[in-house]
Amino acid sequence: MSIKNGITIEEFIESCNKFCEISERLSDGWKFYGNEVDKYKSYIKKCSFLQQVKSDINTLLRAEFVIFYNLSYGVPSFSFNVWNSSGVLLSLEEIRQMSLISINKDNFFSIITQQEHPVLLRPYFVIHPCHTEVLLRELKEVSKNIIVTFLGLVTPLLRLDLPFEYGL
Amino acid sequence: MSSLEEQTEIIQYVPFMSFVHPSFWHTLTEQKLDIDKLNENSKQIFGRFTYRSDLGSIFEVDGTSFNSTPENEQFYLNVKGKLLNKNTIEDFKNIDKASLLNTVGEALWKEIKNRKWIEDPSTLLNFIVLSFADLKKFHYFYWFAFPAPSQPTIYLGEKSTSISNHFKKEQLESLAQAFKSLDLEQKCFFVVTKSDSVVIVETLAEVLLKKGFSKDILELDFTNTYFGFADSSNSNNPGWSLRLFLAAIFDLYQNLHKNDLKIIGLRCNSNGGVENSLIFTIKASQNIQAVESAGWVGWERNDKGNFGPKLANMSASMDPVKLADTASDLNIKLMKWRLVPDLNVDIMKTTKCLLLGAGTLGCHVARNLLAWGFRHVTFIDNGKVSYSNPTRQVLFNYQDSLGGGRMKAEAAADNLKLILPSIHTQGIVAHIPMPGHPIGESLKNETINNVNLLTEAIKEHDVIFLLLDTREARWLPTLIAAHYGKITINAALGFDSYLVMRHGISDSTATGDASHENSFIPGGQLGCYFCNDVTAPGNSVKDRTLDQQCTVTRPGAAAVAAALAVELLAAMLQHPAGVQAPAFYNLSSETENDIPLDMQGVLGPIPHSIRGFLHSFQSVLPTCAKFKQCIACSDVVINKYKEEGMEFLLRVFNSGTYLEDVTGLSELHLAAEMTDMLALSEDDDDDA
Repeated sequence: MSIKNGITIEEFIESCNKFCEISERLSDGWKFYGNEVDKYKSYIKKCSFLQQVKSDINTLLRAEFVIFYNLSYGVPSFSFNVWNSSGVLLSLEEIRQMSLISINKDNFFSIITQQEHPVLLRPYFVIHPCHTEVLLRELKEVSKNIIVTFLGLVTPLLRLDLPFEYGL
Repeated sequence: MSSLEEQTEIIQYVPFMSFVHPSFWHTLTEQKLDIDKLNENSKQIFGRFTYRSDLGSIFEVDGTSFNSTPENEQFYLNVKGKLLNKNTIEDFKNIDKASLLNTVGEALWKEIKNRKWIEDPSTLLNFIVLSFADLKKFHYFYWFAFPAPSQPTIYLGEKSTSISNHFKKEQLESLAQAFKSLDLEQKCFFVVTKSDSVVIVETLAEVLLKKGFSKDILELDFTNTYFGFADSSNSNNPGWSLRLFLAAIFDLYQNLHKNDLKIIGLRCNSNGGVENSLIFTIKASQNIQAVESAGWVGWERNDKGNFGPKLANMSASMDPVKLADTASDLNIKLMKWRLVPDLNVDIMKTTKCLLLGAGTLGCHVARNLLAWGFRHVTFIDNGKVSYSNPTRQVLFNYQDSLGGGRMKAEAAADNLKLILPSIHTQGIVAHIPMPGHPIGESLKNETINNVNLLTEAIKEHDVIFLLLDTREARWLPTLIAAHYGKITINAALGFDSYLVMRHGISDSTATGDASHENSFIPGGQLGCYFCNDVTAPGNSVKDRTLDQQCTVTRPGAAAVAAALAVELLAAMLQHPAGVQAPAFYNLSSETENDIPLDMQGVLGPIPHSIRGFLHSFQSVLPTCAKFKQCIACSDVVINKYKEEGMEFLLRVFNSGTYLEDVTGLSELHLAAEMTDMLALSEDDDDDA
C-alpha cells in the first residue's frame, strides 16, 4: 500500500474556500477566516445555537466549530466549544452526554481532549488528529473535497448536521 | 370577528434574553487590565439580535462588542449600548437599579423627543450591562437591561395573524426584496405600503417627513399601510423593540390612538423569505399616559426567574492556574485513556509526599512527582543554596544562590510553585538528628524540636522519600516511618552507582523472615536500608576529606535514581496491594511472565530494590527480607522507641554503639568476627 502523506496547506485552504462557497449557497453558516500573515493560521468556523432539553429544562447553548490545519499531521483538525448563555464553557462530560450517538466513554475521551487551541489560543476541545490521518489517507484519493470527507468522519460524534448537498 | 375580550388584551412584548459569548469576558478582562484599569466610566459597546424566525429573542454580545464599529452579520441588527463595569462588588450591589434605569431612560427619551429617530430609527434601541469582574477568580457578575418606558398601554385589536393573511405570495417576495435593500440602520423600523400589484417599503423618514405632512397628525391610508419592524421574537407576541417604537410614535402623534395600527413583525427564514412574519393590529388607550409621568422598565430576569444579576464563573476556561493544572492532568489521563485503562489517576492527586532532602535527589524527585500528577510535596532540608548547586539541583537557579543563598527547602517549594501554581507545597527548615553525632546540653532543645518537626511531618504524609546525603541521617526517619507504617522510598548515590529501594512497614502480624521456599517477599516484610548492614550508623563525615563531603557523583546518577524512585512509588500506588505489593526474587524479563497478573499491578511487578552501576550501565534487583536485629526497623528498636521515646533517641544520638547493644548486633559482631569486613563495606553506601 502506498502511503501518502496528508494534504498541503494550499490544498487545505482551497478545499476550505470551495466548501464555504457551497455553505454560502446552502446558508449553512461556515465561514473562511484566512490569515494573510501566517497562512497556517487560516481556518473555517461555524456557529450555531443548540437546544438542550434535560429533565424538562430547555437550555439554549451556543456551539462553535472550527476546522484548522494541523501542521504536524498534515490534516484538517476539528475543534469545538459549547457554552451557555453566560459564556461558561461546557465540560467534556456534559458535551459527551449530549452527543447524538451513544459512544463508549473511554473512546470518547481518548479522541477528544481540551487543549489550548493552536490557532485561536484559547481552550478548545480538539479531536485528536492521529485517527484522522489514517482515515483520510485512505479516503483522500476518492474525495471530491477533503473538508466534506473530513466532516463526514467527525460529525457522527457531534450534533452537527451536514446537508447532503455538500456531496453533490 | 374579534370579540370584546380580545380587543382589551394588553400587548405583551417578548423580552430579550441576553446571551454572552466567552470572548466578551476575554475582551472585557483585557480592556479592564490594560486600558480602563480603575476607571469606572461607562463604555460604549454593541450588542446584536436576530430577526430570524428559528431563534427566540436572543440578544448577543461577544468580543467584537467592544469594537468602535460593529461587525455586520446576515439577519442580525446591531444595537448601541453601554457597559457599566464597577470596581467593587459593593458598588455593583449597592447601586440603585431603578434609578439607574430611569436615568438611562430619561436620557434616551430626551433623544427621542428631538425626533432624531425618524431619520435613524436604530437610535430607539438601547441596552445597558451593569457588571463587576472579579479578575482573581474570573467570576463575572452582570445584569442586562433593555430600557423601555412602562407607558403607553397598548392593546391588541385582534390576535396576531400570519402575514400570508394580508399579503399574497408575490407581494411577500417583493416585500422581502425591498426589505433586504434597506440600509442597515433603517431595518429596525420601516413603513410598508400595499397597493394592488406592488409592495413599497420606505424608511420612516420617507413617510413621516413627506412634504405637506402635518407635524401633529399622521394622515395615512391605515388600511394599506403597515409599520414594520425587525422582530426578534419567534412566538405569537411581538419582540421588545416594538415597545420603544410605539412609545415614540404615539408621543409624536397625539391623535394616533383614534386609529388601529397594523404592524408587521418581520421574521426571516434562513433563505431571507419573510413568510413567517406576523401581523399585529394594535390600538392605544383613549387617555394616553405620557411617558414622562411613568417609570422605565427592562431589567432582565435571571435564571431563577427573578430580577437579579447573573454570574458567569469563567475560571475553568480563563484562570491560567486552572488551565495549567488541567493541561498537566491531561498527560496522565491520556495515559489512562490510551494505554493503561485501569490507572488510578486520583491516587496520585491525593497522596502526600514528604521529601527529606532538597538537594540533587530531592529536586529531581519533586519534578518527577509533578510529572506523575502528584500535587502534595513537602521538603525538609536545613541547607542553603550555594553557587555550585543550581547546575545539578534542578529546582534552583543562580538567583537562589545569591546573598548567602536561600534556604533550600523554601526555595524548592517556591520554585515548584513557579512550575505548577496549583501544587500544594511547603518547605520546612529542619536538621535531622543523627546517631553517633553527639549533642550537648546547648543543642538538646533544638534537637528535640527537630525530632518533633520531623515526626509531625511524617505523620501528616503518606509517603516518605529518603533523599539525604548521609547514611546516618536516614536512620531516624526510617524508624519513625516504619513505626507509623508509612510508605518509604529510599534513594542513595555513590560516585557512579545508585540504590533505590522501598522499605517494609512495621507489621505486628509479620513473623520473622519470609520463607525461603516462597518466590517472593510480601511488601510489608521487606528489609529497610539498614537491614542489610550489620553495623550501626556512625559519623560517616568524620574521616572524610573535604571534597568527599560534597556531592561527588556522576550527574546522571541522581537523575536516574530519582526517576526510578518515583516510578517505584507510582507502580506501588497502582498495585492493588499497595505497600504490601510482593517483591519477587530473581525478577527479570524472563521470569516476569511467571508472575500471576493479580500480583503484578497495572504497571508491572514491583522490585524491592534497584542497584545501578553507571560504569557498566547495568542494574540488578536484589530482594531482601527484614532483618530481625535491624538497627532501624526491627521490633526491638521500634518497641524501645515506643516505650522510651525521646530519651531513647537522645541516647542513640549520643552514642554510636548504643544501637548495636540494643539490637544484639554487638554480640553478633563478636560471634562472627566480621568487624573488619564490615568496616570496609561502609563506604559502599556513602551516598552523596
